[in-house]
Amino acid sequence: MKIQCFLLTLAETGPKTSLPLFLLGVILYFPWAIAGFATAQTTAEYGGSDFKTVTKQIDARLAEATDGVPDEIDDATFLSRAWLDLVGIRPAANEIEAFQRDNNPHKRNDVVQQLLADSRFGQHWGRYWRDVILARRADERALRLVSEGLAAAVAERINHNARWDQIATDFITASGDVRSHGETGLFLAQKGEPEGITAEVARIFLGIQIQCAQCHDHPTDQWKREQFHQLAAFFPRVGIRPVRNSQPRNFEVYSRNHKNKKGNGKGKNKKPLEYFMPNLENPEASGLITKPVFFLTGHSLELGTADQDRREALANWLTDAEENPWFARAYVNRLWTELIGDGFYDSVDDIGPERNCRHPEVLSILAENFIATGYDINWLFQTIIATAAYQSAMPMHGATIGTTASQPLRSDAVFDNLVQVLEIDRSAKGRGNKKQKEKARQVFQQAFFYDPSLPRDEINPTIPQALLMMNSRQINQLLRGDRRGTMLARLLAEQEDNTLVVASLYLRCLGRLPTDQERSTCLKHIKARKNRSEGCEDILWSLLNTAEFRRRN
Amino acid sequence: MKIRRTQMTIERGQVRRRDFLRTLPTAAMAAGMLSWSDRLALAAAQNKSSHRACILLWMAGGPSPYETLSPLEGHGNGGNTKSISTSVPGIRVAEHLPHIAAQMNDFALIRSLTSKEGNHNRASFLLHTGYLPTPTVKYPSLGAVAALQLGEKRTALPPFVRIGRSTRLRVGGGLLGTQFDPFAHRDPKNPPGNTELATDTNRYRRRLNLLAQLQETQNVAAGVKDSHQATYNKASRMILSPEMRAFDLSLEPKQIRDAYGNSDFASGCLLARRLVEAGVTFVEVNCRGWDTHQDNFTKTHELAGQVDQPTAALIKDLKQRGLLDSTLVVWMGEFGRTPKINARGGRDHYPRVFSAAMAGAGIRGGQVIGRMSDDGSQVVDRPVSVPDLFQTYCRSLELDPESESISSLGRPIKVVEEGKAVEELF
Repeated sequence: MKIQCFLLTLAETGPKTSLPLFLLGVILYFPWAIAGFATAQTTAEYGGSDFKTVTKQIDARLAEATDGVPDEIDDATFLSRAWLDLVGIRPAANEIEAFQRDNNPHKRNDVVQQLLADSRFGQHWGRYWRDVILARRADERALRLVSEGLAAAVAERINHNARWDQIATDFITASGDVRSHGETGLFLAQKGEPEGITAEVARIFLGIQIQCAQCHDHPTDQWKREQFHQLAAFFPRVGIRPVRNSQPRNFEVYSRNHKNKKGNGKGKNKKPLEYFMPNLENPEASGLITKPVFFLTGHSLELGTADQDRREALANWLTDAEENPWFARAYVNRLWTELIGDGFYDSVDDIGPERNCRHPEVLSILAENFIATGYDINWLFQTIIATAAYQSAMPMHGATIGTTASQPLRSDAVFDNLVQVLEIDRSAKGRGNKKQKEKARQVFQQAFFYDPSLPRDEINPTIPQALLMMNSRQINQLLRGDRRGTMLARLLAEQEDNTLVVASLYLRCLGRLPTDQERSTCLKHIKARKNRSEGCEDILWSLLNTAEFRRRN
Repeated sequence: MKIRRTQMTIERGQVRRRDFLRTLPTAAMAAGMLSWSDRLALAAAQNKSSHRACILLWMAGGPSPYETLSPLEGHGNGGNTKSISTSVPGIRVAEHLPHIAAQMNDFALIRSLTSKEGNHNRASFLLHTGYLPTPTVKYPSLGAVAALQLGEKRTALPPFVRIGRSTRLRVGGGLLGTQFDPFAHRDPKNPPGNTELATDTNRYRRRLNLLAQLQETQNVAAGVKDSHQATYNKASRMILSPEMRAFDLSLEPKQIRDAYGNSDFASGCLLARRLVEAGVTFVEVNCRGWDTHQDNFTKTHELAGQVDQPTAALIKDLKQRGLLDSTLVVWMGEFGRTPKINARGGRDHYPRVFSAAMAGAGIRGGQVIGRMSDDGSQVVDRPVSVPDLFQTYCRSLELDPESESISSLGRPIKVVEEGKAVEELF
């Protein structure tokens, strides 16, 4: 029925329809009409951890534990999901077209491979880690100084296939000027203070909230107060100082292995070279001198150890899978939570031996194989995305583990999708003005930012977001149909058939075609408006303001 | 122009007429049909029975008590700052606050606030929520609690508005949800961002209809769609409402604007009054720059100069409009500053002793609570803890301090735990 109606429309308007859109219509409705040629599947193997074998094990475990797995999602939904998760934007119409046409049974894995190799993959996840680290900043200056550099530092590493242990080590041992060494961002965000750094290193890389033990033994975990301070003792010599005569103003993270004798008693240089655990009874006293000990393995260093040696030792012990499983488990749990929408634990950064773990065997399978691949990030993405849990339809009422839940897009993704939909980079203004675009990105960051470590059901839409999307002058100018150089003006000039205009707007904005009902609502609206351009502007405006545009389904 | 004068009654020199006001077109006021004092009286009558509201004048960075509310004359720690007498015999404040001094009958000063938190972020969080930040429980700020308990349906405007640039303040709705986050309005001299329609109203309404229609059938979880739609409804209700005029300070007579002064903080105070008048429950006005590690005396002098006049004007204005009885005004920062002056002529963080000024909403003015030692280094009488302060807020704002919200880990969280309201204030 649907197909017939659509064909009828096509037939009516056939001669006027431009070829690409005509093909698009045919392809979307007859995916079988044009057979793709199956391409040979290259199976990625990593040190014996074939992702397919692992995926099968996980599928079997989850199917056993839950009442089977919901229906598999269709190709268009999968493609949107994978694109949004891996590179942060929806696939363009021609990508959807090509994917649906493809008859290769391995095409889903293939597209994941292709996206993992895309430089936007590193960029997207670089921004993710920037948000994770800067969300809990203790110093607002970090935002201005290191935002860009931090995202770029992670992006570059991910795009060069750096392993997760390497990235973590780079953060923990970082030094140098903060603008060109973005991996110093964690230290800068915590103002170089050992307590803040300790809390964040444990939270981000181990998923353990050891800072609860800062003032007292952990109320619900085994951690003792001194263990927090022993971890902090790895960082007393991390120094931050301004770079002289820097323009724009810059800071550097350095190893403060000596007290500066010339420092005329001014602030920072008076800081001791060892860490002192505060005396709770008497906060004014200097406290108890404390040796660096890594709480999960018991490894320790002597007092007097140089800064670099402390941090390198910690990075080694922290990433050593033989003795510490939590480094791998924390990353696996975080990524699973991000991709599936529901994790093994209630929180991505509050796991640990005494937390309740759902499907611990699935987490173990993933973590062990992740370790076996040498912490290969790409392998983990590929494996999780290949699971039935990832490729199943969204549950409408309450997510349970093993089914992928809908997620709000992060601010950069909202912005990048808007840029793509409105083809801002193609307009004369957008092309020439990179600076302006970055400024606009920050406006979105302000409105749409959320801490990625928070459970997604705590992320609610806000009034400023609605106001920005509805009323922003710039957006409203860019969605005009009667202005030269806009996407809509081009589309309207190229395509006289309103049915196809509506289809194209849906594909752009939501990565799918309209349903019959949606199409007829839109066509009715255009007809009622009389002014075609105005009617289409309203549709575009509405689609950009829907919940679906801002979410990954 | 028809005014139903027959229904007007005068009681104790004040007009007690809400009906009258409803029928009185604004044009009558604008056209100068009523004298200025008439208009004030009318407004006072209208506002009289209104609900509780709060204006927090937030001195970000931690203001030195010794150069503001609690001068240390006669002790070396006080530097060269002189004190002046106020309208209340026996109460003296620093010389930089002449306007507040003249208004002292309305202010109660607390000179014995004390806490242990000397980090800006953590202390700001503490003084906004009553709790120290923890990674597991996201405590809501008082503004969010007030919005939840008092304010949600009183106006088309957001119940909780934060005015000014507030870089350190990321505390908001917390576990109550982002719908209780403050509506941030950075520049009080201009309308808030993106509140002006991009098309004419009719077309905007058509677009909203189309949006609702298209969204209804979308394959997105019902809960998600509902909260998305509810947010859009709120946003559009707000920008289409006549209350949006509250943001336009140019509608305010010159004499009133002059009374507040010209600084951004003055505009913020004036806007706060307009918002409270329009039914907003909690307004926070920020003044940055109090972190005076260097050159404390010049800086505090200058900052006190910026805040003194508008703070006093705000109290006077609220009082004239009959709003002071229902509006709590609090002037404070996150901690005090070291009594000893450091080598750079500055004062460092000192949470052990700090001060606040409060007025309105049941607070009895013209009194001082607590006392610090002559050198300013400690509280010697009637210490007031942060929980005590929050119990006091609850008493004044008629909030239920026992009411509980559930944290994401399932733990019930009270508005305030521990502490006792400062009875002498009421």
